[in-house]
Amino acid sequence: MFTALYFGVVGAVLALLMRVQLSVPNNDFLEAAYYNQAVTMHGLIMIFWFLSPLGVALFNYLVPLQIGAKDLAFPRLNALTYWLFLAGGLMAVLSFFVPGGAAAAGWTSYEPLAGPVYSPGPGPTMTYLGLMLMAASVTVGSVNFIATILWLRRPGMRLSDMPMFSWFALFTVVAMLFAFPSIIAAFLLVLTDRLIGTVLYAPPSILNVPGIDPSLLWDDLFWFFGHPEVYIVLLPAFGVIADITPAFTGRPLDGRNWILISVAAIVLPISFGVWMHHMFLTGIPNVLLEVFDVSTEIVSIPFGIIVIMFILSMVHGRIQFKTPLLFIVGALVLFIIGGIMGVFLSSPVLDRVYNGSYFVVSHFHYVMVGATIFGLFAGIYYWLPKMTGRMYNESLGKVHFIISFIGFNVLYAPMMLLSDMPRRIFTYQNIGDWAQLNGIATVGAFIFAGAQIIVAYNLLHTWFRGPPSGPNPWGSQSPEWSTPATGSVPVAPVETEPAGGWIGQLPGPQSASVSGPSPVSHAMSAVSHEVHLSSRPLTLSAGVMLFLTGAALYPGGAIQLSVLTIPPGVFPLALMVLGVGVFAASIVGWAWDDIRNKFVGPAGDPGGDRWPYDEVPKMKLGMWVFLSSEIVLFGTLLGAYIFIREAALEWPSPASVHDIPLATANTLILLTSGFTMAMAVYAIRKGDQRGLLGWLVATFVLGSTFIGVKISEWLGLFSGAAPFLPSSSNPVTALAASIYYVVVGLHGAHVVAGLVVLVYLMKKTARGGFTKDDHMSIENFALYWAFVEIVWCFVFPLFYLL
Amino acid sequence: MGRFGASFLMYSGVLAATPPTVATWTRVYDVYLTLGVGTAVVVISALLYAVVRYRSRGQKEPVQGAKQHGWKAVLAIVLVMGVILAIAGSQTFAGFTNIEIPNSPGTVTVSVTGFRWGWNFTYPDGQYVIGDLTVPVNTIVILNITSSDVYHTFGIAMLDVKEDAIPGKVNQLWFNMTEMGNYTDAIRCYQLCGVGHAFMIANLTVVSQSQWNATFGAQKG
Repeated sequence: MFTALYFGVVGAVLALLMRVQLSVPNNDFLEAAYYNQAVTMHGLIMIFWFLSPLGVALFNYLVPLQIGAKDLAFPRLNALTYWLFLAGGLMAVLSFFVPGGAAAAGWTSYEPLAGPVYSPGPGPTMTYLGLMLMAASVTVGSVNFIATILWLRRPGMRLSDMPMFSWFALFTVVAMLFAFPSIIAAFLLVLTDRLIGTVLYAPPSILNVPGIDPSLLWDDLFWFFGHPEVYIVLLPAFGVIADITPAFTGRPLDGRNWILISVAAIVLPISFGVWMHHMFLTGIPNVLLEVFDVSTEIVSIPFGIIVIMFILSMVHGRIQFKTPLLFIVGALVLFIIGGIMGVFLSSPVLDRVYNGSYFVVSHFHYVMVGATIFGLFAGIYYWLPKMTGRMYNESLGKVHFIISFIGFNVLYAPMMLLSDMPRRIFTYQNIGDWAQLNGIATVGAFIFAGAQIIVAYNLLHTWFRGPPSGPNPWGSQSPEWSTPATGSVPVAPVETEPAGGWIGQLPGPQSASVSGPSPVSHAMSAVSHEVHLSSRPLTLSAGVMLFLTGAALYPGGAIQLSVLTIPPGVFPLALMVLGVGVFAASIVGWAWDDIRNKFVGPAGDPGGDRWPYDEVPKMKLGMWVFLSSEIVLFGTLLGAYIFIREAALEWPSPASVHDIPLATANTLILLTSGFTMAMAVYAIRKGDQRGLLGWLVATFVLGSTFIGVKISEWLGLFSGAAPFLPSSSNPVTALAASIYYVVVGLHGAHVVAGLVVLVYLMKKTARGGFTKDDHMSIENFALYWAFVEIVWCFVFPLFYLL
Repeated sequence: MGRFGASFLMYSGVLAATPPTVATWTRVYDVYLTLGVGTAVVVISALLYAVVRYRSRGQKEPVQGAKQHGWKAVLAIVLVMGVILAIAGSQTFAGFTNIEIPNSPGTVTVSVTGFRWGWNFTYPDGQYVIGDLTVPVNTIVILNITSSDVYHTFGIAMLDVKEDAIPGKVNQLWFNMTEMGNYTDAIRCYQLCGVGHAFMIANLTVVSQSQWNATFGAQKG
């Protein structure tokens, strides 16, 4: 949470720089290049490293408390989530200082502007690699939260009994799980373009194929992710509102189940069916304009239900005007305004004016800053006594709210009127009322930012000097406040992470005293000797970060030290080698820790939590959840492939490129390895350890053969040397080669990862690590392996036969 | 209802007759504005009223027996919102004339190519001009818009028309300008396209039909 707040400050400083630049016409405070970097990184940092993580930090602290779990389902994966998030954020921030500067193509990173031709240099590459780490972190985190919420609720807590905040957490992570694979796919294609020279988003000057336009492919991939993402940002705030409103109204929430049904409708079908409203000007057919106009209008209905229910929840209450309540009301007001502006934007006709203008900027700041930040502030004030055991200063909180609310509207309301001013211009002439409106907005920005100094002081003061709050200052019924005497919820969080993990895990001194002596806390201390502490997630993330940084910088220029000159390429290469080394050491070490049973799972819980594949049911659940996100990833990539194939007027026939008989034979090899893996599962189910080892070895040999044949095939394909260099005679070959390498290569990487895990499984089998009753790793790996084969069953016909 | 916040009308008062695209846009906008402001006022008032009306007068204890609304309330919300959205949506559908390219005789077509950083206008006679679009008055003008490098967006704020300029793809828009004159900086790029984005501006010049035909109208070939 502190990390998220830190990134929030970085993003805010960038925003203030921009507002200073735009305060008067024809300003030259920031150059265009720096302005574009600021505008881009402001968006990326605020969305990916501030808003989302702030919500997730609250999940991390509260969900286990609310559902009565000691921690998340996979504590070390949780640490990995944090370290990957931090490593990605560091890469993004450091990219400012790398040649080429940070990404400057807008947070939307429209292609081909964000590609290697128009955004050269390692800086943007580094930003996008950081984003990939963030996305990986999100995927790991989503799996973890879903497994936690579905498996670790305390006895007797049905899903329907869960507090609202945990419900919203569940919806948020489900949306994350399905949205982020799409952006991973989209940026994977950007990064292969930037790093290994594929031409997937190449502009016409590089690749001139009739029918192909790179921009629409990007639009579809990006916005398929991008629209659910705005709900991912918003939902934690609504979860706060739904959860804590009753504490201030003195009555239960009205229409709790209807709110949940509405959120479910938003998250699963609707939010994934509105993305084209970002593309109303791209020349898509009118029928799509109409469909997405209607679908976008429909998404406002469940939001309407939620808002009305929140309002009805105030009726007949006895409302106490504490700071959190003020922020709740503020968030709702701003959300209503921003949401209604969104209905304007749902119209393709009105969008002819608003698209790309400051009206859009105003709209999404009303919902994503207004509703989200105000809602999260309500939560922070509300749970601060829980986290610190101390009470914040109520007057300062109210002053913070009033100044924030005024500053916010002074900042963003003028932008509503700037519907003819283009977004992201770094300067403007003195036209109409642009100067006045921009000047007012800048004043508002400083008021809004100034208000945040108050909250920073208030938080720090509370943390160190605040008066004790008592165990339940709000008189809330929610389980996170309950003492062990009245419920079986453990109040003291057990620190099961490396130091510096999510700050939410910090056990506040008072929160421990809240629990007091009780049978439960004794039970807690009885099991608190379980060991999850591991530095592997940290070193693993660091290794990945080093490798990717090296890859981004490669080959780079010569480095001139005082006496000696390091030739180009050496330093990045050293970084990459070091990164691979650290990464490999972490993975091997992690597996080795496990084989030696270093980690101790919860007592009395069969299986314990031993990575990778030891946990009995929750591990399998985690696997299924993970695979469902993988399905979206491959589905997106195959969709991109089909999109390109459909658009291209000509395409090289598979027979002219591939050795089809060989590929067919190779497919049979892979399918056979699926059979041997099934036999391995069958063997260990009977308790036959030697049989298991034999079948695992057979699987490994077949898998290695498959990947070996594929590598030899790749080397010979597409006339070898420079497969992605478009030839003037037949440019489409380069495109075909690009998409083939990315999709088949990613599948190959999955096979290789599977082989690595197989080595671990064989090692553990040889040491007798699996028995008839304890072989969940084998089952889970079989699941993964089957998934890899099913993917190939789609890839093979699409690429080799059609 | 007029359009407020109309900084875009930097030429307001210049135009004697409203161009058809502006008339249509404004008609749709008026409906959205009426419904939107009305809804916002009602809902926000209800929220503030509820908060103030039911404020605590010293009570600390939870209220017993607060009413829970069920499916009837939800149905009412869905119906009311459905009606509002249907009215708004039908206006948008009626306004699609702004988007559909008219298929009538007597139109003129100009090709527009966005590049970093400027606009290239190619006329029917084959000559091209950078940075200045000249069109005949009281004529339906169709623009074929594309880009030679990155994603741009071509917009004329005073006419309420805008369309993306995408490399490898041609998009169309139309307008009909009702008044002759030189409209400086009327054309802008609305999609971040690099460091020159802020200066990707062009002028709109509207001349008489006979003058335009004499200058640009000769069909090439």
